[in-house]
Amino acid sequence: MRTLGILVSLAVAAVVAGLVVLYSGVYDVSATDQHLRPTFWALQTGLRQSVKRRAEGIEPPPLDDPALAARGLHHFRAHCVQCHGAPGVPPEPFALGLTPLPGSLSDTAREWTASQLYWVIRYGIKMTAMPAWQFRLGEDELWSVVAFLKTLPDLSPQAYRDSRAAGPDAVRGAMQDADAQDVDAQDTDAQDADARDTDGQGPRERESDAERGRQALRQFGCVGCHLIPGVVAADSFVGPSLERMATRQFVAGQLPNTRENLVQWIRHPQAISPGTAMPDLGVGERDAHDMAAYLEGLR
Amino acid sequence: MRLNDCFRRAVRGAACALLPLAVSACSDPSMQHLGAEAANGRLLLRQFGCGECHTIPGVADARGNVGPPLTHVARRTYLAGRVPNRPETMAQWIRDPQRFDPMTQMPDLQVTEAHARDMVAYLFTLD
Repeated sequence: MRTLGILVSLAVAAVVAGLVVLYSGVYDVSATDQHLRPTFWALQTGLRQSVKRRAEGIEPPPLDDPALAARGLHHFRAHCVQCHGAPGVPPEPFALGLTPLPGSLSDTAREWTASQLYWVIRYGIKMTAMPAWQFRLGEDELWSVVAFLKTLPDLSPQAYRDSRAAGPDAVRGAMQDADAQDVDAQDTDAQDADARDTDGQGPRERESDAERGRQALRQFGCVGCHLIPGVVAADSFVGPSLERMATRQFVAGQLPNTRENLVQWIRHPQAISPGTAMPDLGVGERDAHDMAAYLEGLR
Repeated sequence: MRLNDCFRRAVRGAACALLPLAVSACSDPSMQHLGAEAANGRLLLRQFGCGECHTIPGVADARGNVGPPLTHVARRTYLAGRVPNRPETMAQWIRDPQRFDPMTQMPDLQVTEAHARDMVAYLFTLD
């Protein structure tokens, strides 16, 4: 009896404590940083399990028809690439500010089944900015997107670029339309970024700020492709893990890992290694120095 | 991921304790789940000195940090930042890295096709 009393009191105390935290507003809801690790883990696990359960029993149609995937590419370019990016193509800047960060679909397509991808596209996911497409895309169109996503892991950045120019005649016109909408202004992005990130001091006059760099690594979506210790996100293995970056000897497989090279690589990967899957993200010099400062702390 | 690993390790531990038949296989905990190709690949990765530059779980002395760690290499989308990661492409990359990226620091170690295939079999257990 006494034990029961203690248990009930503990439960009441836990609920009260929860409400106090909730109503006091101490929990940070800003999108500049990810949830606390335990919250993130709970949300991520819940999401994964929920999708798994709901996608059970969905029987995918045959997806290996290249024409189906080509139609999927058209929808992908119209509706997906803006937030998720594509091989060698960054997401739009607004999408990089989303929390959670919309993941790289090359990674997703490897990890999730066709039925699960279909379910997520059709129904969307609450509180993640992933919309439900049920009322915007027909059944065939939804599966065509899944068919294309399943080809993504085998698509090199070069092949993705080529696929924008080629493709069956049926979709060529539509794809050219989509191309016309492409904002291909990465050089100006970088210039804008430099203008944006000047705080009145050149990057060399000010101390780089590793904590600010940690946030920038989140805000430029780096963590969407790389595992970065200390930056909470879904573990992603599109590119190499940045664990122990402080003592890594080479960057991009070719540049000695100095501050200057790291900054250059972060800012201009396509100039250093044309065709790399790492996109130019319009990172300004100050932001790049701060990111490098954070990475230099990873031992 | 880490939780998953713990869970897997726990399951493996339980299996070792419970299944008398598995006891012999459990004597070397890092080898028990490997097929012959992968087990050979693990030795080859050691013999070709891959660990001088890469950290490779399960491979003796493979703590290098010249190039990226291969800790989760089976899950990687791209190799060398551009090659879609499949067993065939990984074997080609190991055998002739300069073909994919002329600037890469990864040396051509004259790995034979059969050796590369075994290395890949091991590396694809790292997820």
